[in-house]
Amino acid sequence: MVGEELVSGPFLDADGMKALGAALAITVTGLASAWAEKEIGTAAIGAMAENEGLFGKGLILTVIPETIVIFGLVASLLINSA
Amino acid sequence: MRLLERLWGTNPYRKSDKKKKGTSNYAYAVTRVRAMKSKLLPKETYPRLLNMGIDEITRFIQESEYKNDVDELAMKYSGGDLAEHALNRNLALTYDKLLRITSGELNYLIVAYLKRYDIWNIKTLLRGILYNAPVEDILESLISAGEFTYTFLSELAAKATYQEVIDALKETDYYPLLQEFDGTNLAYIENELDKAYYSSLFAVIGKPRSKDRKLFVRFIKLEVDVKNLGTLFRLKRAGVEESDEIMPLIIEGGMELKSEKLAPLPYEQFIDALRKTHYWDAISSVAELETASLTIVESRLTRHSLESATTYSHVSPISIVPIMDYIIHKSNEVKNLRIIFRGKEAGLDDTLIKDQLVVI
Repeated sequence: MVGEELVSGPFLDADGMKALGAALAITVTGLASAWAEKEIGTAAIGAMAENEGLFGKGLILTVIPETIVIFGLVASLLINSA
Repeated sequence: MRLLERLWGTNPYRKSDKKKKGTSNYAYAVTRVRAMKSKLLPKETYPRLLNMGIDEITRFIQESEYKNDVDELAMKYSGGDLAEHALNRNLALTYDKLLRITSGELNYLIVAYLKRYDIWNIKTLLRGILYNAPVEDILESLISAGEFTYTFLSELAAKATYQEVIDALKETDYYPLLQEFDGTNLAYIENELDKAYYSSLFAVIGKPRSKDRKLFVRFIKLEVDVKNLGTLFRLKRAGVEESDEIMPLIIEGGMELKSEKLAPLPYEQFIDALRKTHYWDAISSVAELETASLTIVESRLTRHSLESATTYSHVSPISIVPIMDYIIHKSNEVKNLRIIFRGKEAGLDDTLIKDQLVVI
């Protein structure tokens, strides 16, 4: 095939695969925590609009999904350092 | 998308109100409504209110969630009128707020549901004007939570004859029905208005495809059943057993109540037939006694619908149900306060007032 003539060996080498894996880990978890925070954030705003005292609780609940992206970051760092 | 619509002009078919506009922000609306529900008066308040005098109750209302409404209206009204107006105004503003904080499908369904207040207002206006009630008395009972604004309604209340009111409602969907009103058939018109409301509500929902509409339909069907059950109880107590007399009073579209089968039965058999329904648990202790007051049966039924709404709001937490749950709980609270207030004013016995209350 034409491609085989141009690219010798696999499409991505080991380093490339690692970089791609690390990128995926951080991207997908980033999107996931963004989506979760959006849902919780709007709910927290709704509750706060009625009762300002819920600010502290709302804030804490809103940032909890941040753990997802932290796990993603750890995973991508582990992949890179392996 | 909006840019494309602006460039090509809007397609009239997309404007159909059967389409939802915007997306429903459930997380925001539901949490906010739940926070609003937590501000409703707790059940411990009612025994305290029953022990208070009218002035104390007014002061209590003034210090509660109704503060702003009482303050705004204090210039115009006083005493019992002030409380009544404040309660109505608060209810209207609360529902208006619900419409402001929801969008898309949620908003669409709530608007359709709140049209019941238009029906309520039309009924109040017709009744008031037919029996020559003073304008102030009519205004006291108007709740501008539906599509009609308070200004429009107060203009209608000031009209001299019911014919003028009906003419002013020419643009509304209720006009063809109202044209049949001749000053003598008020009960018939009121019934038909109720039926028209429910049939238009079912038409708005259409064939329930989305989860929200399915839940909403369930909610409405339960409400229809509870209403029909109330009507059937009244008629059975009065000894009416002819289907031809009963069926015109029944609203179509209930959930499990087979009104056409229940209609011709005498009281004992009617009660036996009810044993197989879900409603029996709610009314079993009071329905069997023929001497028990219908007020108690009806308040048990109302309690059942309020409780089942709350249960379903826990089953489907991110849906329209918590909002419907709030709507009926709020109207129940206003109703309770009004019962206490008017009961005290009329010098009724505390136990009698207590029987009328539905405290959850």
